[in-house]
Amino acid sequence: MTAVLPWATLLVCLAITIARIPSLLRGENRVVFYIFALITLDILLSIEGPYLAIDALLGGVNVTNLILRFLLYGTFLLMGIKIAMGFASTSAERAIRGPWGLAVLGITVALTTFFFVITDTRGSTAGMTGLTWGPSMEAYAALGRFYPGYVSACLLPAIWRTIVGRYPALLRAASALLFVGLALLLVSQLFPLIPLVHLWLRSLINYSAVLATAIGLAGIWFSKAFARRKARRTA
Amino acid sequence: MPLPSKAFQRWLHGVAPNASTADVCRISGIKRTTLAQQLVRGKVAESTLVSISRGYHISPVEALATFDLYADLRGDPVPPTPDELVSQIATMDLLRAVVERSEPGSVSVAGLSPTPHPTAVRNWVDAIDDGELRHRVSEATGIAPQNFSAHLTANRLPPELAIATSRAAGVGPAGGLVAGGLLTEAEAGWSPNGRQEALDRMTLGELVTLAGERLQALGKTLRRQEQDHERTERIWENLG
Repeated sequence: MTAVLPWATLLVCLAITIARIPSLLRGENRVVFYIFALITLDILLSIEGPYLAIDALLGGVNVTNLILRFLLYGTFLLMGIKIAMGFASTSAERAIRGPWGLAVLGITVALTTFFFVITDTRGSTAGMTGLTWGPSMEAYAALGRFYPGYVSACLLPAIWRTIVGRYPALLRAASALLFVGLALLLVSQLFPLIPLVHLWLRSLINYSAVLATAIGLAGIWFSKAFARRKARRTA
Repeated sequence: MPLPSKAFQRWLHGVAPNASTADVCRISGIKRTTLAQQLVRGKVAESTLVSISRGYHISPVEALATFDLYADLRGDPVPPTPDELVSQIATMDLLRAVVERSEPGSVSVAGLSPTPHPTAVRNWVDAIDDGELRHRVSEATGIAPQNFSAHLTANRLPPELAIATSRAAGVGPAGGLVAGGLLTEAEAGWSPNGRQEALDRMTLGELVTLAGERLQALGKTLRRQEQDHERTERIWENLG
């Protein structure tokens, strides 16, 4: 189950990204394509096979993991801004792209790099699970969970208002999925409390979060296409 | 709580003793699956009974009255109050009446549109409300006031709630069934020109005031719909 989940997630994200290509070519909402492409790339780099292959090219000291962190931050920055704008939450938008939000991102990037540098990261393993975990490693991992969690916390209230508000049923369902995905990222802040023997639980939560978020986002797009088609039929 | 299917089947047997389910559905224009589902669940919708009554040319009111839940409908129909009659006139018909009375001959008045109109339920409840009605209804039926409000906003009135509301207001039992669209005004025993006559009896001042209130409520509803629409479009514009 936990072996299939990453590949299934990758497949779903890749499928959605490919499905967005026509919109990309038409110039509609290019950022949404970039978000899905980034999510797909994030997932690819978190899977053992591709990770080891790429990391081998980059010197085998897990630099790929650091790159993955930066890609994740970028994904959440873009996604956060777009969702905050879509769900009309000026406070969330300020908290993500405003001076405060960019400061949070900047500090996270700086600290992530710092802890990566001071840790002995030799010996390529996906998720760096094969390394000896000291405090600096824990801090590095916590930072990687922190920024997505921060962005999610900013977005959840506005998404919740859409779920309970007067909106088309499909849009509300998609928003609910998105809510679940982002809420799981908040749950993931508690990972240090999960014993290492239950590592599978962490990856279950992570991949479920990505799946729910990606399908939720795609669902919003689908709800639009569905509404437009219905409107054309009745017109 | 719709009609229990056992009692319904007894009634149906009395109405069409030899008809098969297929016949009943064909004559009354109900989908077979719908009727079958309602029978299996043990609850038959009042609208099903009304459709079948119409199909067999029986008075729907008398048919409903054979069920204990609708015992209030037994006996001679109680005529509606003038306020109830006017409440069942569509806002656009009221506006036409205002214009026609103020500038005779400037609009073509083709008679009132049939009941129910798009805000019939709320207007009916407002017409019979003495200020305490919602309170009494929620006490009598156990329905939460916000759920009652939700029905009014959605222009929906479950038949049982309609009966309870008219009972609590002390008006004829069929008014709410007309407002909720279960019965036509003729089926409820209202006189064919009742609404028009009640409208004609209003002074211009009363008429304009009422039309103004209706317009204000309509404006609020439209604004809200427009805002909902804008918010939805904004989400789609950014993420669709």
